[in-house]
Amino acid sequence: MSARIETVLATAFGVIFIALSLLITVEVLMRKLFGISLEGSYELGGYALAVGSTLAFTLALLGRNHIRIDILHERMPAGVQALLNLVSVLMMAAFSALLGYLAFGVIRDTLDFHATAQTPWATPLIYPQSIWYAGQVIFMVASLVLVIKAIYWLLRGRIVHLNDYFQPKSVKQELNEELEDLAKRSTDAGDGSKEI
Amino acid sequence: MVESVLIAFGVMVGMMLLGLPIAVAMAAVGIVGGLLAYGMPFMSSISPVVWGVQNNPLLTSIPLFVLLGELLLRAGIADGMYRSLSAWLGRLPGGLLHSNIGTCALFSATSGSSVATAATVGTVALPSLNARNYPVGRSLGSLAAGGALGILIPPSVNLIVYGSLTNTSIGQLFVGGVVPGVLLTLLFMVYIAGSSLFGSAKMEKPPRIPLIERLRGSVELIPPLVVFVIVMGSIYSGLATATESAALGVVVALIFAALKKRLTWSVLRVCCVQTARVSGMILLIITAAFILNLTISLTGVAEAMSRWITALGLSPTGFLLALMLFYILLGMFMDVLSMQVATIPITYPMAVALGIDPVWFGIFVVVMCEVGLITPPVGMNLFVVQGIRPDKGSIADVMKGALPFAALMLFFTGVLIAFPAVVTWLPQQM
Repeated sequence: MSARIETVLATAFGVIFIALSLLITVEVLMRKLFGISLEGSYELGGYALAVGSTLAFTLALLGRNHIRIDILHERMPAGVQALLNLVSVLMMAAFSALLGYLAFGVIRDTLDFHATAQTPWATPLIYPQSIWYAGQVIFMVASLVLVIKAIYWLLRGRIVHLNDYFQPKSVKQELNEELEDLAKRSTDAGDGSKEI
Repeated sequence: MVESVLIAFGVMVGMMLLGLPIAVAMAAVGIVGGLLAYGMPFMSSISPVVWGVQNNPLLTSIPLFVLLGELLLRAGIADGMYRSLSAWLGRLPGGLLHSNIGTCALFSATSGSSVATAATVGTVALPSLNARNYPVGRSLGSLAAGGALGILIPPSVNLIVYGSLTNTSIGQLFVGGVVPGVLLTLLFMVYIAGSSLFGSAKMEKPPRIPLIERLRGSVELIPPLVVFVIVMGSIYSGLATATESAALGVVVALIFAALKKRLTWSVLRVCCVQTARVSGMILLIITAAFILNLTISLTGVAEAMSRWITALGLSPTGFLLALMLFYILLGMFMDVLSMQVATIPITYPMAVALGIDPVWFGIFVVVMCEVGLITPPVGMNLFVVQGIRPDKGSIADVMKGALPFAALMLFFTGVLIAFPAVVTWLPQQM
């Protein structure tokens, strides 16, 4: 389930930024070669970031990439670790809820004032902002699901399980993921990679 | 005022060290501080900030540069680079150690992740280093130090973070990082050559490779160099903004990956997931940092800190030396990004009050972060390199091997303080 969500979000994220890169490249080339200025990728780049960053928040959350320092954490007894992990999940959820609430405030103001972008296009801001808001809501829901998971495991007394799942990601784990991918890459490439 | 700032800073770093998420610790301190000063009306002033940060086209360069690095890495360009560099540098005194520094420097310049770079280069390099009896500490140390160079040599995500927090031109920062980056790389290579010439270790030289083969192998150097030239050239000539140059880089990287026949769905998928995760982590921290920055600017913390530092009567040099000590200590326990976002909102206004150039200060902060990457007990690169070594020796080898490089970085920081033009000269030519 979670893997499928990751693929969907990552595909959307990738499409946004690869398409943006192509668009910007065309624009820069047109400007340089023909002196034609399309003016649009600057504004679109902002919207791409707004939507892309909310998707990225969720993917980083699911991949446990939001940095936590583990120097003291890893030296604590399991009970304290579980408590700190729980507090972290709760605070992350609170932060995501705050972002959702703030984003709602932005949307409300935009609707009230029919706000448009201060650009040649004068885009009604509600279009990009509602997608952005949807992204914030996905992030909020994902963090809430994690809170429920953590509390459920805590109530069932499955401390080890909880710590395994919510531990800060160590350099070692990150490295192992990289080495696995590296091994996969070299088998995929066959002998081709060995030739100079 | 200064006392409450120091208390707030202490609380924030304390929360971070306890293992709470960095972004959340920053946001919490910012929001509590804002609420204490202004009550509930403070909350309504954050909304526009959140949209403002996430809709900032300047920051769009972050996911684009991360994507660029991911594409080059996963298309197998680093491995090829190591091989062709060792063909050229292998017979210098210190031999393959130069290829470690060179590949890491050149490659991590285009890549956002030092873990991924070290993993890739280390996996290719360590077997041949061991086969030729290179002292293990020196091999591992050079890999750790080489990986640290990347956050200085542009394009560097850390410089973008500094630029966005301080409103300094990212183009100028990138251009300012070039000369120091090259000089520090050369300094490392001189050290390796010197210590190998006069050292006692017997390192076997790799066999001589005929010139024609070396030239043929250099094809592998073309992709990273082309990407570097396009990104930096378009910024330097004023053809493109930092964000646009990142987009150009992504398109070129896609073309190289396709030429290497590595542009498959599975590679693309990994690139996208990794880019999203890394940028999500960075952008959430930046969002939190801007909430904290709002509190800092509303409550006049920056002015108070500036007045405080001027009242102390410290000379700029004295201030920078004190700051070096502060960053060395902090770098022992915190990772680079956390250290940057936690300190810059306070140290930057002080530096500016003392008349220090913003671009110069950005390079200074990043070099100090590099030191943190390779100093024990938490230097992240040390653990990365330890994780890829094939023999199961103690991490003390890595720490000892990296220490001379950390010392060189501190020496280099001294040079930057004595001759600020090393940084500021090139951006002034733009």
